[in-house]
Amino acid sequence: MTQLQIELDGVDKHYGAYHALKGIDLAIPKGTFVALVGPSGCGKSTLLRTIAGLEKVSGGALRIAGANMTGTPPRKRDLAMVFQSYALYPHKTVRQNLTYSLRLKGIPRAEADRKAEEVARITGLEALLERYPRELSGGQRQRVAMGRAIVRNPKAFLFDEPLSNLDAALRVQMRAEVRRLHDRLGATSVYVTHDQVEAMTMADHVVVLRAGRIEQQGAPMELYDRPANQFVAGFIGSPATNFVPGRVTADGHAVHLDLPGAPCLAISGATPGRPVTAGLRPEHLQPCDPGTPGALALPVAVVEATGSQSFLVTDTDPALTICLAGRSPVPPGGTLSVTIDPGQVMLFDADSGDALRP
Amino acid sequence: MQALPLPRSLRPGFSLGGLIDGRGFDTLLVLTALGYLAVFSAWPLVYNLIMSLQEVDLFSLASFDRPFVGLDNYREVISAPEMPQILGNTAVFVIASVSLQLVLGFALALFFELRFPGASFLRGLFLAGWIMPPLVVGAIWSWILAGDFGVLNYALKSLGIIDENIFWLSDPARSLWSVIIANIWLGVPFNLILLSVGLAGIPEDLYEAAEMDGATRVQRFLTITLPLMRAQLGAVISLGTIFTLQQFDLFAGLTQGGPSNSSNVMQYWSWQLSFQEYQIGLGSVISVLMIGFVIGLAAIYVRSTRHEQVY
Repeated sequence: MTQLQIELDGVDKHYGAYHALKGIDLAIPKGTFVALVGPSGCGKSTLLRTIAGLEKVSGGALRIAGANMTGTPPRKRDLAMVFQSYALYPHKTVRQNLTYSLRLKGIPRAEADRKAEEVARITGLEALLERYPRELSGGQRQRVAMGRAIVRNPKAFLFDEPLSNLDAALRVQMRAEVRRLHDRLGATSVYVTHDQVEAMTMADHVVVLRAGRIEQQGAPMELYDRPANQFVAGFIGSPATNFVPGRVTADGHAVHLDLPGAPCLAISGATPGRPVTAGLRPEHLQPCDPGTPGALALPVAVVEATGSQSFLVTDTDPALTICLAGRSPVPPGGTLSVTIDPGQVMLFDADSGDALRP
Repeated sequence: MQALPLPRSLRPGFSLGGLIDGRGFDTLLVLTALGYLAVFSAWPLVYNLIMSLQEVDLFSLASFDRPFVGLDNYREVISAPEMPQILGNTAVFVIASVSLQLVLGFALALFFELRFPGASFLRGLFLAGWIMPPLVVGAIWSWILAGDFGVLNYALKSLGIIDENIFWLSDPARSLWSVIIANIWLGVPFNLILLSVGLAGIPEDLYEAAEMDGATRVQRFLTITLPLMRAQLGAVISLGTIFTLQQFDLFAGLTQGGPSNSSNVMQYWSWQLSFQEYQIGLGSVISVLMIGFVIGLAAIYVRSTRHEQVY
């Protein structure tokens, strides 16, 4: 069994009457890249800060590399954090920012300098060592923040939305760079983001949080293919999943969608007559010729073309989003016929939102 | 390339429209400020400098046509027998007031940063000293410090710290320190507020980053707080020194510089020479010397604020 680097057992966090984290159980094996993802206010940052020790735990236990650290102050946890604002020391040069933690540990200046220069080489900061943070661009500051974490060789890296202040192109580039550094250092990383694409592309293990609770955790594709509930299905994947109300037929072998002209989908295993919500991913709606048996004709209201992909929004209730490769075959106002593969439809209980698995 | 039309304020010609929203209005604003400075700041300074080079007494005060005596007034002030004592008193007064105000103000500012319930209300109460007229503060402190029936002696005796009354204001060994105590009380709120603003400006995540980097509380204070407060510390030290050199009311209210100059300082001596002994030329000399010193300090202050940190 792989060694667990960070373990949380039923961690609770209260702010007065507000219950920010509810019984969080999480086990992070050494060398894993874990993403904590969820909408604003879901508790992902609080969870990260709790692991860091910047927030005190109200209940439960936290172990780092096997040792109980539930009440240990941050400076004794040997974790490094990269802040959203970078939190570089403005009165220190890049070199001093990098060596600060080493000098506090009593490492001699020459050795600290040598380590800082090594990290500067890895992160591409060699030419900037004598500059002050105010003289750096956003991307360079981001690298300094990463370098400051790397130089310590900590038990784990904690990232708090570190790329959210960068422009889109740089963000994509840094995404790959952060992951490469993680692999190169053989590090254990916990990465907070509100961007599910970032979580899916970077992480080995994604934890979806909502209202202080873990909704589902697992490998990125597992979350995409088998979401545990409607929330996860809607949160993972871009553009977001379409949800259509429907009902299981009396014989229990098909689902009737509540859309005009919609065919019955042959899906068995659900309770007959039960109201359900069907999740249809925009990329799973396949355009077809109008005469195809089982085709669903949809009036198109909006066409958003990006060049490589087109997003069509239909004039139905509820409106559906369709994701097509290349250009749209129909203009806005036209009608597009699509087929739905029953095997790709996700079914959820209409009341609880929990996934119904055949 | 086609030339862009000039904005109206840069076009030649002058009109009423130009005065209201064009360059004319800017000129008017600048002239108003310059006029104010010339009449109320520059002219008194120059007039003071001229008087320091003249023989001015009660009879020649009204006329500008007074005999110039060169640097005689300067020689007389510098060689005055009370000069060394008063200069020394001034140095003690400024250094003790400013350093103790700073230490107390900084300690209080750090204390109120803890954000306990009622912190901002209590911090507001500290401003009381700042909004009271210094002459009133002087009168109150003269009651507190009074030898026979003062509340300070009463408190010290009740606590068993002293056996006999201390004559704070009339004992030459203590009179200067009495004024210093009152002045510290008066100056702490200014230090507290300015340093509180500086502390509030340091982002919380810098402390958190330092904490993650392994810094203890004391190390965070020494390596994060102090260096980032450099501009504010420079400001309160230089402004505090200037305010302390301006402190006149407390001397008037407490000791009048006595007994026998034991609590006299330059600014009060200047007033005594000018308005009690009517040796206005001599009084002006002290003013000129103090202005020179303050200008030097102001230069340091301006330099210290120029290097403010950008986060």
